[in-house]
Amino acid sequence: MIAIEAVSKTFETEKRRRLPALCDISLAVAAGEFVSILGPSGCGKSTLLYIVGGFVAPSAGAVTVNGQRVTGPSPDRGPVFQEFALFPWKTVLGNVMYGLQRQGVARQQALARARELIAMVHLAGYENLYPKELSGGMKQRVAIARTLAYRPSILLMDEPFGALDAHTRTRLQNDLLDIWERDRKTVLFVTHSVEEAVFLSDRVVTMTRAPGRLKQIIAIDLPRPRSRAALLLDRRFQDYVVGIERLMDSADSGAPA
Amino acid sequence: MTRPVSALAAVIAAAGLLAAWELAAWLAGIDGFPPASRALAQIPRILTDGEALLDIAASVQRMAVGFVLGVAAAVPIGLTMGRSRHVAAFFNPLLMMIYPVPKAALMPIIMLWLGVGDASKTLVIFLGVTLPVIYHSYQGSRAVEQKMLWSAAAMGMGGLSRLVRIVLPAALPEILVGCRTGLVLALITMVTSEMIARQAGLGNILFNALDMAQYDTVYAMIVIVGVLGFVLDAAFERLRARLVAWAAPSHAIIAGTT
Ligand SMILES: Nc1ncnc2c1ncn2[C@@H]1O[C@H](COP(=O)(O)OP(=O)(O)OP(=O)(O)O)[C@@H](O)[C@H]1O
Ligand SMILES: [Mg+2]
Repeated sequence: MIAIEAVSKTFETEKRRRLPALCDISLAVAAGEFVSILGPSGCGKSTLLYIVGGFVAPSAGAVTVNGQRVTGPSPDRGPVFQEFALFPWKTVLGNVMYGLQRQGVARQQALARARELIAMVHLAGYENLYPKELSGGMKQRVAIARTLAYRPSILLMDEPFGALDAHTRTRLQNDLLDIWERDRKTVLFVTHSVEEAVFLSDRVVTMTRAPGRLKQIIAIDLPRPRSRAALLLDRRFQDYVVGIERLMDSADSGAPA
Repeated sequence: MTRPVSALAAVIAAAGLLAAWELAAWLAGIDGFPPASRALAQIPRILTDGEALLDIAASVQRMAVGFVLGVAAAVPIGLTMGRSRHVAAFFNPLLMMIYPVPKAALMPIIMLWLGVGDASKTLVIFLGVTLPVIYHSYQGSRAVEQKMLWSAAAMGMGGLSRLVRIVLPAALPEILVGCRTGLVLALITMVTSEMIARQAGLGNILFNALDMAQYDTVYAMIVIVGVLGFVLDAAFERLRARLVAWAAPSHAIIAGTT
């Protein structure tokens, strides 16, 4: 389980100006829980994810995972970055296998696992292409497969479906839910889509404008396994979406903090 | 179709240059400026002379050793500078001081330590190669995307492993740009070092001929050095294109332009 305890982050800019990005965030995420973070652009969602990942140190407060204080990255917490960050000198297959090989998994095994994941993100047949030959959405899917490959128990996903067309997006949302139902990974999921957040999550966390504070946490009490078609007709789903959209609007029109 | 076109352009340029040389030399009519036809006629003689060939081979070998050692030393320094502000702060002023010094001008001093033999010349070539390679490795290393390093860190890779397995390949396109400059500088320092320490080598033939007023041979040697540079550069460029094919933007999309 992840415990974010009173985390704040202030960046020092080049001209020694102090830029507060996150303000006193406390949040506990249970093992196997799916939590989405919603908030206006620039409110610090990515920064929060980086702090949980151990890539960025908080200015105040701490993050613990299963009681252990986070001081750096670990293969147990797999990030999927907004910018994909694929290795351009590796093919699709090479990228997905990379983490496994670094961890000493035998080549044959790594290959089999990579092929399985590539098929899962619907990229079978593209194994030997280089990242520069892929579209934005394809890169994003490779990035997801690359992280899933080394089996982190916590997934830190930063708008992983942001660059996808609506159709692929829906498909991958379903695939992600399937994986999650199967392995019960803990997921911290940043998105701009309220529908996506409600569809996927156990809880939706909303944040205020920068410097980001927690605004409200909404538990999504919808039955699982979820089916998109059924939910779209479900009055409760619609209420959640509309309610959260209203909440977000009020965040945007509020006075700057 | 770019290859035949650019090859044709190169042939035209070379022919034009030779024609201009020939004409200018006839017009000038001085001893120290033989026409192209007389100079080029010397090339077969030089290239069939066993001793001259040994000299040239020795020069090229020194150049290769200096280049390889230079690259081997420069790349780790440049990459580390790009990833650590402290290392960069240490090397930067040093490099800025060495930068404007013509490396061949150090030759007399180096000869005091290492003599007139291979060691001095190789060291000067080494010095000529390292600076551009350090600089470009540094720039390439600095530009490596942070998230790429984070992804690697999340896979459990430590600092050194990331430097070798992530920073090095990610910066390779830029490193190779530095190597290309380094290769040309290696050729230049090779010739100048032999101008100063006359003993053996391609520069030795050139400057001895100059002393003995054999101007045809001087110009023939200059042409040989030029062609050598051209061939080395072209070969390196092909190697580079192969090594970093993954990085080049895909062209050849618009029909009829390729
Ligand atoms: N390395 C940095 N140095 C200085 N300021 C930074 C740095 N990284 C982020 N910030 C600032 O912190 C704030 C939060 O940035 P962050 O990327 O976390 O926002 P976000 O919520 O993920 O936005 P988006 O939805 O657009 O991705 C922004 O104001 C940004 O300018
Ligand atoms: Mg972000």
